[in-house]
Amino acid sequence: MSHVPSRQGLSALALTGVLALSLAACGGDDSGSDSDGPITIGTSLPLTGEFSQPGQAAEQGYQIWQDMVNESGGLLGRDVELIVKDDASNQNTIVADYNALIGQDEVDLLLGTFSSLLNLPASAVAEKNQMLYIEPAGGSPEIFSRGFQYLFFAQQATADRQGLVFADWVAGLPEDERPQTAAYPTLDDPFAAPVVEGAREALEAAGVETVYEETYAIDTRNFDTIVSAMKSADPDLVFHGAQFEDGVGMTRSMLKAGFAPDMFFQTNAPSFGDQFSEGVGADNTEGVFYAVSHHPDADTPGNAEFVRAYEEEYGGVVPEDAADAYAAGQVLQAAVEAVGSIEDQGALADWLRENEVQTILGPLSWDETGAPTGEFLIGQWQDGEAQIVLPEEASTAEITRFWTPGDAG
Amino acid sequence: MNELLQTLILGLLLGGVYALAASGLTLIFGVMRVINIAHGAFLILGAFVTYWLWDGFGVDPLLAIVLTTPIVFALGWVTYWVVVSPVRTAPMASTVLLTFGLALVLEGAMGEIWGNNSTAIRPAYGDESFTLGELFLPKAQVYGGLIAVLVLVLLWVVLTKTWLGRAIRAAATNPSSAELVGIKVAAVAALVFALGIAAAGAGGAITGVLYPFVPGSHYQWIARLLAIVVLGGLGSLNGAVLAALMFGLAETLTSAYVSPAWATAVPYAIVFAVLLIRPQGLLGTRLREDAVAA
Repeated sequence: MSHVPSRQGLSALALTGVLALSLAACGGDDSGSDSDGPITIGTSLPLTGEFSQPGQAAEQGYQIWQDMVNESGGLLGRDVELIVKDDASNQNTIVADYNALIGQDEVDLLLGTFSSLLNLPASAVAEKNQMLYIEPAGGSPEIFSRGFQYLFFAQQATADRQGLVFADWVAGLPEDERPQTAAYPTLDDPFAAPVVEGAREALEAAGVETVYEETYAIDTRNFDTIVSAMKSADPDLVFHGAQFEDGVGMTRSMLKAGFAPDMFFQTNAPSFGDQFSEGVGADNTEGVFYAVSHHPDADTPGNAEFVRAYEEEYGGVVPEDAADAYAAGQVLQAAVEAVGSIEDQGALADWLRENEVQTILGPLSWDETGAPTGEFLIGQWQDGEAQIVLPEEASTAEITRFWTPGDAG
Repeated sequence: MNELLQTLILGLLLGGVYALAASGLTLIFGVMRVINIAHGAFLILGAFVTYWLWDGFGVDPLLAIVLTTPIVFALGWVTYWVVVSPVRTAPMASTVLLTFGLALVLEGAMGEIWGNNSTAIRPAYGDESFTLGELFLPKAQVYGGLIAVLVLVLLWVVLTKTWLGRAIRAAATNPSSAELVGIKVAAVAALVFALGIAAAGAGGAITGVLYPFVPGSHYQWIARLLAIVVLGGLGSLNGAVLAALMFGLAETLTSAYVSPAWATAVPYAIVFAVLLIRPQGLLGTRLREDAVAA
């Protein structure tokens, strides 16, 4: 028997040595608890993969918030330093990312991610570690049914209420103008599905008959068959629960099939400004409805400064998701400044439950579960521009009823 | 009746595109015994190159295939010699890992070059259809399907009617004997890899016109394409075409008559069922090793 170590044995020994050295190096890092250094704020965003559209917009919003806070003296007199990881739109990766932010990077504070699908597991990691978790997206009612104490949603309302303002408007139309029938194609997604469910119940109560209702999987690329079935059902209104890519895909399939219902409401995708109009063609956007949390012209505190900073840094129309991320930063900032410390995150959560915060989305306040208590705005594409049409007091243009693809200026 | 006919047409058009995309994957496996996990990434690369030609130079995206395909062919050829060649005869697990890594590198590179935002190629006919009574045939899908058939026929002619095709088949059937009769198996493998990647590139040009895409879209494609080539029988071009058409029809029929929620799941259930009865796939050949293993 030979006593000379084998090649594999030596490799294993070398690998163990490298691992041991790496772990020792990691163990020496205590940058997160340095009280004179910057306040570190961790987040993991879908910068690649299915949700890269909102993920990248959110990163822009967070960056602008960080820059503006630091320019105005920081948070509690300390600079803010964002640590952003990429979860690749993956539910497993995001859990690993938030655990790493808390355990390895030892961040002082957290900010949330995008889409309910990813916020569901990520918020559970924050709750387990008793850290405040303000999410810029993630309005699924399921998220707020878990009795969490540290979770807050920085938009006006949860998903099930997103379509209600629109549904109420439809219900209030004179009978000869009100759609008689509606179709509800929906992405199997914890955010999109409750929006459609809430709107469908309200529209059915108003006498609008449901002639098509189906859910499709997230990896659906081909919408021609769904559109063909909808076309056969001939609805007056299509209310589509979508994220971004499927929203564009469905709209293009409807155009290909020559299927243009009188009214067309779609969640998420139309709120992406230029990206939506480039995806479906600017002249096909005319009359598309959507629910939205932000408008660049809104007269809310700090909105003009945010929009100017965004345009200088990135150019183009501000995506809603960048504004939502900025607002999440504002909520975190308000809580930290009011409490005056970041040591007791329970105190930050208690303060948010009891107070209203002024943001670029308007005033936000929350119930016991962290769900917001306001209402969404309703947007509509008109002449190639995204306008606010409901509620009337916030409107930037008069509402029109019809979707007329091919007609926008 | 109209609804059934409409669903069948949409299914066959979808299947035609799947067939082109899957043909390269099965070709590469047939000759090299390499399962190319990066195939979907090359397909998306084909879509991005097409987008670049369309957006930057105003080239019609489907006509651009005559430019896209040689570009992607050259990339495939270089990739073979730089990345795949050193591990061509290594165990299959090594090549699966290597090509998975290659897919990640390609995804990252595409993200750097074109960004991770959703990209759509919209030629004027992209949102138009031919109408036949009450039926609609999306123009881009019809053109795409015709191009897919043309490329597949060309591929079939090359494989069955030319000396090159005989060399490829000889290298696939018995590499050592092929070497004895003067066929340079390594050179044939490089050519086959590049041809397979070029087919993926052509498929990417068509799918880019049909559906919006991001660099990460390759995960969905490779899952579908692997299922198609396994259903058809690994290495069988005819099998891949048959399986792709079945896959397309299963998706649209399920969407129309069961529920869109099951449309992307049912084809995989069919793969599962077929493999229980025919482990070698629809048109795959049962090898002696399989018989021994059984």
